[in-house]
Amino acid sequence: MSIVAADPTAAAAEAAQVNRHRRRGFGRYAGFKVLGALGSLMFMLVVNFFLFRVLPGDPARTMGRGRLSTPEQLAEFKKTYGLDEPVLQQFGTYLNNLVHGDLGYSILYHKDVSEVLAERFWPTMLLVGTSTVLAAAIGVWLGIRAGWDRGSPLDRFTTGGSLTLYSMPEWWLGLLLIAAFAVGIGPLPGIFPTGGLHSVDVDPTSLKGVLDTAWHLALPVVTLTLAYLADYALIMRGSLIDELRSDYLTTARAKGLRDVRVRDKHAVPNALLPTTTVVALNFGFVVAGAITIETIFSIPGLGLLTTDALHVPDYWLLQGVFMLSSAAVIAANLAANLLYGWLDPRVRT
Amino acid sequence: MLEVLEGLAGRRRRGRHGGQGTPRGTRVVVALALLAACLSPGLALAPARAADEPVTLTIGVLNDADSLNPFVGIEAMSFEMWQLTYDYLVTYSTKDLSPEPALAQSWDTSDDGLTWTFHMTDKAMWSDGQPLTAEDVAYTYNRVIDGGPEAATWGAYLTQVTKAEATDPTTLVLTLKKPNSSLPLLPIPIVPEHVWKDVAEKDVKTYKNEPTDGQPVVGSGPFRMVEGSAGGSTYVFEANPDYWQGAPHIDRVVFRVYKSEDPMVQALIKGEVDFVDGINALQVKSLQGRDGITAQNGNAPSFDEIAFNTGAIDVDTGDPIGDGNPALKDAAFRHALGYAIDTQQIIDKVYQGAGVPGSVIIPPAFSTWRWEPPADEAYTYDPDKAGQLLDAAGYKMGSDGLRTMPDGSPIGTLRLAARSESPTSLNTMNYFQEWLQDIGIKADVVSMESSKLTNVILDGNYDAFEWGWYVDPDPTTMLDYLTCGQLGSWSDSWYCNDAYDKLYQEQLTEMDKDKRVELVHQMQQMVYEDAPYLVTAYDTIGEAFRSDRFACFAQQPEPGGVWLFQSGAYSYLHVRPAAEAGDCGGAANATQASETSGESSAVSTPVIVGVAVVALAVAGLVALLAARRHRTAADRE
Repeated sequence: MSIVAADPTAAAAEAAQVNRHRRRGFGRYAGFKVLGALGSLMFMLVVNFFLFRVLPGDPARTMGRGRLSTPEQLAEFKKTYGLDEPVLQQFGTYLNNLVHGDLGYSILYHKDVSEVLAERFWPTMLLVGTSTVLAAAIGVWLGIRAGWDRGSPLDRFTTGGSLTLYSMPEWWLGLLLIAAFAVGIGPLPGIFPTGGLHSVDVDPTSLKGVLDTAWHLALPVVTLTLAYLADYALIMRGSLIDELRSDYLTTARAKGLRDVRVRDKHAVPNALLPTTTVVALNFGFVVAGAITIETIFSIPGLGLLTTDALHVPDYWLLQGVFMLSSAAVIAANLAANLLYGWLDPRVRT
Repeated sequence: MLEVLEGLAGRRRRGRHGGQGTPRGTRVVVALALLAACLSPGLALAPARAADEPVTLTIGVLNDADSLNPFVGIEAMSFEMWQLTYDYLVTYSTKDLSPEPALAQSWDTSDDGLTWTFHMTDKAMWSDGQPLTAEDVAYTYNRVIDGGPEAATWGAYLTQVTKAEATDPTTLVLTLKKPNSSLPLLPIPIVPEHVWKDVAEKDVKTYKNEPTDGQPVVGSGPFRMVEGSAGGSTYVFEANPDYWQGAPHIDRVVFRVYKSEDPMVQALIKGEVDFVDGINALQVKSLQGRDGITAQNGNAPSFDEIAFNTGAIDVDTGDPIGDGNPALKDAAFRHALGYAIDTQQIIDKVYQGAGVPGSVIIPPAFSTWRWEPPADEAYTYDPDKAGQLLDAAGYKMGSDGLRTMPDGSPIGTLRLAARSESPTSLNTMNYFQEWLQDIGIKADVVSMESSKLTNVILDGNYDAFEWGWYVDPDPTTMLDYLTCGQLGSWSDSWYCNDAYDKLYQEQLTEMDKDKRVELVHQMQQMVYEDAPYLVTAYDTIGEAFRSDRFACFAQQPEPGGVWLFQSGAYSYLHVRPAAEAGDCGGAANATQASETSGESSAVSTPVIVGVAVVALAVAGLVALLAARRHRTAADRE
């Protein structure tokens, strides 16, 4: 609520004009960004194909070592999976398939790439998505409190703690948590499972299945959340500290506002911009998975899929995985750009 | 694009420790964790089973199945799945993996070796109630003989076979162009014709053969797969109560795929799994001291070797290619290096004692085929002898303390390629480098990914590398890898020796087993002396199981072999709950039950903790909203 009473009609007219201006500027800005994102995606689709063909290794040789023992078997295998075709012909097939929405055939798992991706997508979303949301929420919350009371015990604790967690390898943290909470140390019973996404006999869509999945995901999600926390806490703290000496805060205080209100209504919204960017960008990386945590906790996610596919190399699966992750990153970038443009009109020019 | 790149850079740390398998430093953590767990013995106890609950054997493995379709899958895990699901015409003995009756109770060969007649059981049934007959076997083999993906996977086992024919429901006849000495070993799973006749050859590579909605895959084996898919993380099998060789003594087998060894070992200690496969020697050692757990390093049918570039050529023109060191093209030079390798040291230091020092290309597991080098020919660690042999071959010591080529030019530096994903490979090559140094040969260890190494080998751009082979129960495939016919294909040493090839062809068609053994011995001796490979070690596979719950796993080969992932489903048919083990039904060489009994636990941890986790999340959310509301209320003042 403004303190000074102004002419209501004039204010409304002015606001309407600003709004109209904002909307037009924003539409143009958004259009450009969407086109740019589409361009990036097209570019990635083409690059993906050649990127993986440059990798050393031959799928037939990696997969067939010790199995396809005669040259005839090797030749038959290459023929079956189209590995004997010239690269340009393979590229043509790739483009043609893409246009028809077909991501190709995974030589590693002998089924359609889209099917493999679908199986691995949700475990990763559950694991990395939940962790990112939790880390962002807790990190921002901690960062605000730490930055506002710089030098306070909470600040020192948050900064020190999150830096320690940040510099700790994720797999090490994960193994420590397994040792402590899954196996149990001393009087501590091992109440969590050592790995996997859910138990063998439960239907993941039933209530019992949901609870069972939560039980399985608790440790990996905590590990990842702790590992990601510093990102958000430190950025939030930093940008809030930048705002601390701003004149508008003095003004707000002079108006007699309570400290918490000054922080939450005046300082935080301004300090939130850099964090918004980081959050949005990191969401793009959710589908890239978390290779080390998926490995330690044996969660069948996209991160592990990528390493398995690289090992062969399974070109088609790699193309699929990278298409998915680049699309996600591009989409997240677009979202960040749009959000930013909407929040801060200065960037639209 | 700029934002994309920035984003990538900012997030790189997620993949920082990425890669295949667990980072090496993990071992330390496990040692710590195991130590910690040792301090709390009571917690390692497994909940006891209620009397009416099905007996489930849960097996922790490190790899998933690449396909459940027996005509396209090629990974070890897939083979294990088929062994449970299907039957085979002939199986392998646990003792030395020689042929043993399975569906075929007996067989005979015509004098010219061109006709094989198999006499089958009439008791085998498919899980959908249809009888399994010789028609199914003939159908399966003919799919392979007719080419396509089926031939890519199994063709090598049916070479020379022109047709498979069922003359009556229990008689199968194979007709051959030329004798094939590897028969009757046929590791091809027999599939039901009435299911597979609907799968056209062009659809084979996309046919998944996975259970749908709990409907098991139609098979005839001791277990039926009810859940699982290629690349999946669990595979569930139910016992076939009507199995023609007698029902298994357990109700279910569950495979759980772990992606790193350490959590899998923890799961065994905790009792989440009953068996773990593929753990390392240190883990075996730490598990051996535990009550209720039995662990071993089982001899695997494989060997690890240092291979040399004996002269890469363009297969079409015969011209030399690549930049291999000329000294290594000389068999005398390579032979001398055989005395510079301390294989015992490699076993002790690199394999932590879990292995057998290497010698020839047929592992000790295959006692029938293996040639044991006599004492006066065997490579012993003897740098002086290596030096003398090198002197005699003209590689004299130069003034700078390095040996030279016979023409006096420097040998240069040998590049020893290690596979970056294998610490064993790297350590072996580090030792080899030192030993070469001792006899006056300079060498560098270079580490590269095995996929890169494959390319380097094909281009001939290498001197030596470390790798290994799994060896089939029949020696033909292993012997084949060193023939001239494999140059540019699987040959990785570019070894080509006409005398060896002649013996190879002879042993392919030699139907007299004793004569064939003699030929195979000669070939091993040739490779041993010419040394395209210097076999460093016969590796082991670390295995452990809860002997307080299960007993009667049988080793293959006997003694010292692996408990699971064998050739044949022997162990799965014999394993019993520890309490009911008795004398394991008289099975030889079976592991006995241990004394420890489990503690009963009535609570269902998943549900309780799951509720707690969800409750905690909800409480957090509520607290957050409450705080917000409270603040809003305060602000309204």
